[in-house]
Amino acid sequence: MGRKIPLLVLVLAIAGFCYMLFPIVVVVLAGLTAGEFLTFPPQGLSLRWVVAFLQSDKYLSAFFFSFRLALMTMIVATIIGTAAALFLSRTRFVGRAAMRAFFLSPVVLPGVVVGFALFAFYISTGSSISRTIWGLWIGHILYSTPYVIGTVGAALAAFDISLEEAARSLGSSPWRAFRRVTLPNIGHGIQAGSIFAFIVSFGQFEVSLFLSAPNSEPLPIAMYNSLRYQFDPSAAAAGIFAITLVTASVLLTNRLVNIRRLLERQHA
Amino acid sequence: MPFVEFHRVSKSFGKTAAVEELNFTVEQGEFYSLLGPSGCGKTTTLRMLAGFLTPTTGRIKVHGRDITDLPPEARGIGIVFQNYAIFPHMNVYDNIAFGLIERGEKKAEIRRRVGAALEQVGLAGYGSRFERELSGGQKQRVALARVLVVEPEILLLDEPLSALDKKMREEMKFWIKDIQKSVGITTIYVTHDQSEALTMSNRIAVMNEGRMLQVGTPVEIYEKPVSRFIAEFIGDSNFLKGRILSLDGTAGQIDLGGGAVVPARMPSDADVAVGDGIGLLLRPEVLGLKPSDEGETPYLSGEVIDETYQGSLRRYRIRAGIHEVTAEIPNRPELARLEPGDKVELYWNSESGSVVP
Repeated sequence: MGRKIPLLVLVLAIAGFCYMLFPIVVVVLAGLTAGEFLTFPPQGLSLRWVVAFLQSDKYLSAFFFSFRLALMTMIVATIIGTAAALFLSRTRFVGRAAMRAFFLSPVVLPGVVVGFALFAFYISTGSSISRTIWGLWIGHILYSTPYVIGTVGAALAAFDISLEEAARSLGSSPWRAFRRVTLPNIGHGIQAGSIFAFIVSFGQFEVSLFLSAPNSEPLPIAMYNSLRYQFDPSAAAAGIFAITLVTASVLLTNRLVNIRRLLERQHA
Repeated sequence: MPFVEFHRVSKSFGKTAAVEELNFTVEQGEFYSLLGPSGCGKTTTLRMLAGFLTPTTGRIKVHGRDITDLPPEARGIGIVFQNYAIFPHMNVYDNIAFGLIERGEKKAEIRRRVGAALEQVGLAGYGSRFERELSGGQKQRVALARVLVVEPEILLLDEPLSALDKKMREEMKFWIKDIQKSVGITTIYVTHDQSEALTMSNRIAVMNEGRMLQVGTPVEIYEKPVSRFIAEFIGDSNFLKGRILSLDGTAGQIDLGGGAVVPARMPSDADVAVGDGIGLLLRPEVLGLKPSDEGETPYLSGEVIDETYQGSLRRYRIRAGIHEVTAEIPNRPELARLEPGDKVELYWNSESGSVVP
């Protein structure tokens, strides 16, 4: 704490943090209300709506549906995204720069566009996957893969290709060199990308709005639908669990990565 | 039979030719340097030999076997990269064991050979360190150990000293040469530094713009360069414009203008004729500024422009007629220092001046 931070900057920073954290505070407090209706500030604190969430089939099944969907999306998006990032960083072809810019830009395709496009496609081709988890899954993969391409692409940009060449000339086949040298060195990028894919899929709304079926709704859609008809605080309680899950997955992965670094250092 | 053979090898990237029609051979056990400015094609040549690039046309042979289309892992060629490419996620021991594991060696054998390799490069006890805990010189030793432990047929070194500071560079120059000699491994060394090439090589190939300009021993390259580019790239040089007055085998007379006529050594194989305009190459260290009794004769007179004191040397710039000449005199305290404007006479042995077309 050697340097003094100007007061104005400090005030702005605190205001910024408050602004960012405000929605979380609203959801958490609204979910812990003791009253009958979704209000902020809450009318007294209780766990009744948390209990109601845990006893509600509708929310619990939506929560686990979202969890399953996010996990499935994460797996496929990680594989496709890593492969795509490798392709973009290792090959030379016309339009590569444009493709990289396209895939590495923070928001690639608006969810509304992905959702609408797939919806129109499924309906007009009469595809049997319309309004199934598989159709929804495809939409989520489309939406989350660019996040993996972005993080893995960044890791590959920092990766020195001569490491892989060194492995090759020491006798590794292309696949062995990738597995023993490249993969361990871009692992943090893949890890970060897969967390992103999970979180993005878990919180995805627009794609799901177009593609989910009434009997199998992801959590955000279930929350939205229930709030349209009743102003029920258990939606906020569901939000608490969603925030907890996302935070836990980030912390957990962070811990895993740090533990590995720690081990490495002790080994040395 | 030559050990490494490049036969009409060309490589272009798109429309740019990186190397053109490369023909050269390297003998077994030889220390062969590819020397040239950046962009001359030396690294491209090395990477084609390592198998990271495929020639556009031409064949590469090792031991008479055509390796042009073999992948890097099937070539038995080791390479030390400019940045050493130590695997950052492995410790020194695992780095050196890497190639042995890829060859399916037994655990005990790996332990024995890695231990011996660490010993050989003077890093015994460093096995558990990671790349970030090593100095530049240590990284280089690890990189070399990692390659030598798998006993490749050929060792490639890609500017291995350029990332080190000057003192370390001098030290590693001799260290690498010693290791190479004791292992007896055929070595191809890429560098842009003429002093590294001169110190370490059996033969040097000077490259520029994708072509080999001259191949020869350090002595031949330094003393009998075949072109002005080589003369000026290798070491400091005075290049005096003149005209051939007479020719007799490898001896001849050069007219330097202003009435100065000097004897010079002619290139044996180059096609020069009486009347040709040529350059007379005089290295700064062959010039004397005082009469000497070593068979040297005064050839040019001029006056001192300035002196640069360099500790072990004094460096004089001298205007002699239409020529400007640099002379380096070993510094001895008893020698009188020359002032700008002092009249001097330039001496050299006629064997020391060579004609460059």
